[in-house]
Amino acid sequence: MASAVETGAQSGRFWRVLIYVTLIVFAAFYLLPLFVMLVTSFKSLDEIRQGNMLALPLQWTIEPWLSAWGSACVGLTCEGIHGYVGNSIKMVIPSVLISTLLGALNGYVLTKWRFPGHRWVFGLMLFGCFIPFQIVLIPMSQVLGLFGLAGTTAGLVLVHVTYGIGFTTLFFRNYYEAFPNELVRAAMIDGAGFFRIFWRILLPSSGPIIVVTVIWQFTNVWNDFLFGASFAAGQSAPMTVALNNLVSSSTGVKEYNVHMAAAMIAALPTLLVYILAGRYFVRGLMAGSVKG
Amino acid sequence: MSSLSIRDVRKAYGPTEVLKGIDIDIDSGDFLVLVGPSGCGKSTLLNMIAGLDSITSGEIRIEEQLVNDTHPSERDIAMVFQSYALYPNMNVEKNISFGLEMRKMPRKQRRERVAEVARMLQIEPLLKRKPSQLSGGQRQRVAMGRALVREPKIFLFDEPLSNLDAKLRVDMRTEIKKLHQRLGSTIVYVTHDQIEAMTLATKIAIMKSGVLQQLGAPGELYNQPANMFVAGFMGSPSMNLVPAELVASGDEPAVRVTLKDGDSMLLPVGDNPAYRDWVGKPVILGLRPENITDEGSAEQDSPLLFQGECLIDVTEPTGADVFAIIELNGREVVGRMRSSCGAKAGEKLPVVFNMRHAVLFDPQTENRIG
Repeated sequence: MASAVETGAQSGRFWRVLIYVTLIVFAAFYLLPLFVMLVTSFKSLDEIRQGNMLALPLQWTIEPWLSAWGSACVGLTCEGIHGYVGNSIKMVIPSVLISTLLGALNGYVLTKWRFPGHRWVFGLMLFGCFIPFQIVLIPMSQVLGLFGLAGTTAGLVLVHVTYGIGFTTLFFRNYYEAFPNELVRAAMIDGAGFFRIFWRILLPSSGPIIVVTVIWQFTNVWNDFLFGASFAAGQSAPMTVALNNLVSSSTGVKEYNVHMAAAMIAALPTLLVYILAGRYFVRGLMAGSVKG
Repeated sequence: MSSLSIRDVRKAYGPTEVLKGIDIDIDSGDFLVLVGPSGCGKSTLLNMIAGLDSITSGEIRIEEQLVNDTHPSERDIAMVFQSYALYPNMNVEKNISFGLEMRKMPRKQRRERVAEVARMLQIEPLLKRKPSQLSGGQRQRVAMGRALVREPKIFLFDEPLSNLDAKLRVDMRTEIKKLHQRLGSTIVYVTHDQIEAMTLATKIAIMKSGVLQQLGAPGELYNQPANMFVAGFMGSPSMNLVPAELVASGDEPAVRVTLKDGDSMLLPVGDNPAYRDWVGKPVILGLRPENITDEGSAEQDSPLLFQGECLIDVTEPTGADVFAIIELNGREVVGRMRSSCGAKAGEKLPVVFNMRHAVLFDPQTENRIG
């Protein structure tokens, strides 16, 4: 008996060790590019030329970071990427806020103020989520031209809001589907109108799904390259486009350390958002899927 | 003055009619209970009074004013929901005062009203808590506070006790009754529990598949049920319904019943003129369990007491009473006896039939005769 129990425990341990080793190997594998980027961004160009990609810097320097931020050449101007980071922020904040708010409002109407054909409207919005970016490029540029928004940050905001509504509506509709109708009825009897019920009852109870939507929209809009490259040129380009221009500038030496630092700067906001709110993201997605 | 008047109200979803012409009138201060099995339309009717469901046809008036197309917030009603529907993001105080805030009552006055209601319901220590930090009974009180603070013309209760455990339910029932007696408010209350209906109501409207079966005081429904459905629904255990033949015994009509051992008895049912046409025809005899009892607990002043030796099939002691099951005309009937009457399964016992409260039904239409 005793030996049987022991072998059982031993084989359990064996599998456990195997699982952990596998997980660690994969984690290291996935983290490798990030590691290379980080160490490279703290090395001098001379050290990079010596060729050992994985080695830690012999002499740590933040010069590449400063250069990427303030003096690297993007296209013809040599002021670093900070202006483009500013563009991205100016684009991402209104896009995320407006699309989240509209999604919440849509979700509210589609669950609590149903009208004939609400299924169709929701179905079409869902369909909108699956339209590939490339298809809408030409019509969208015509619309932007018509509105006089071509090549501006405001134009990009409009594009991202339009594209995001499908997803944000989907998130909020599923969340509000599980929200008790009796609360809305009670508020109606209490004398609250359409918007009052939304602001005072539903929105304050939507914490988890707001976090999910904000993360989703933030990463999508921040990381977008195609719309940024197509609809915002030159000085109003978002950071992703500027990063591409920086890396592909063909004059002079390739400053890998500066490129890596710029890429890190570009990736930091999304990383931060995930680290700060990632827990809620998973939780919110689960809540929506189980109850909805 | 009529406080609430419902006139030939109908509700249809497409071709299916769920309310088939309801007429109810109640006075100010009445406690109306809408009762019936699930799917009878009672909640729909309540929602229509509240304005949360549209009215297909007919009229609803609150204090003589037609409210068919009035928004719920302008009907001067307050509603307590089955799930309590407390706003999860607000504390108890905000929950109670939300309706007042929406009606633009000044902050100071709101505070006073909330404090007053909180004192009345003994929820003062809870005012700063969120609904998620309250027990079921406390939530129930807050939900009532939210209705009370508005001082509406009519209170609507939608099965407010069904989410509580058995003991708390009985306590809250008493509390609601006390509240009604103290405030004299008009209440419409929906439940599927006939005991709740009996204990709380001044008027009961009993419904079945969208049709009002009977409207009246609890005693009226209990003693003179309009039909066999009402007879069976009200009271626990429910009324015994036994097919029998009405015969003339002397001048008086009587029903003939056969006991299990083949002995036959004539039980006079009192001289009701309506019974005369039914002599010689089959009827359904309705007799409540408390009117089939042992000698000691029979209603001594009843003029229609008849005794017979009956074989007891089964006894079900409940502590206070014992339910004895005997057979009449091949049907099992329940009698309610004192625990100490000595009823034993398989033995004979002198059983008293109190025919003063007996009712007769038409076997075809199932309506009460007379």
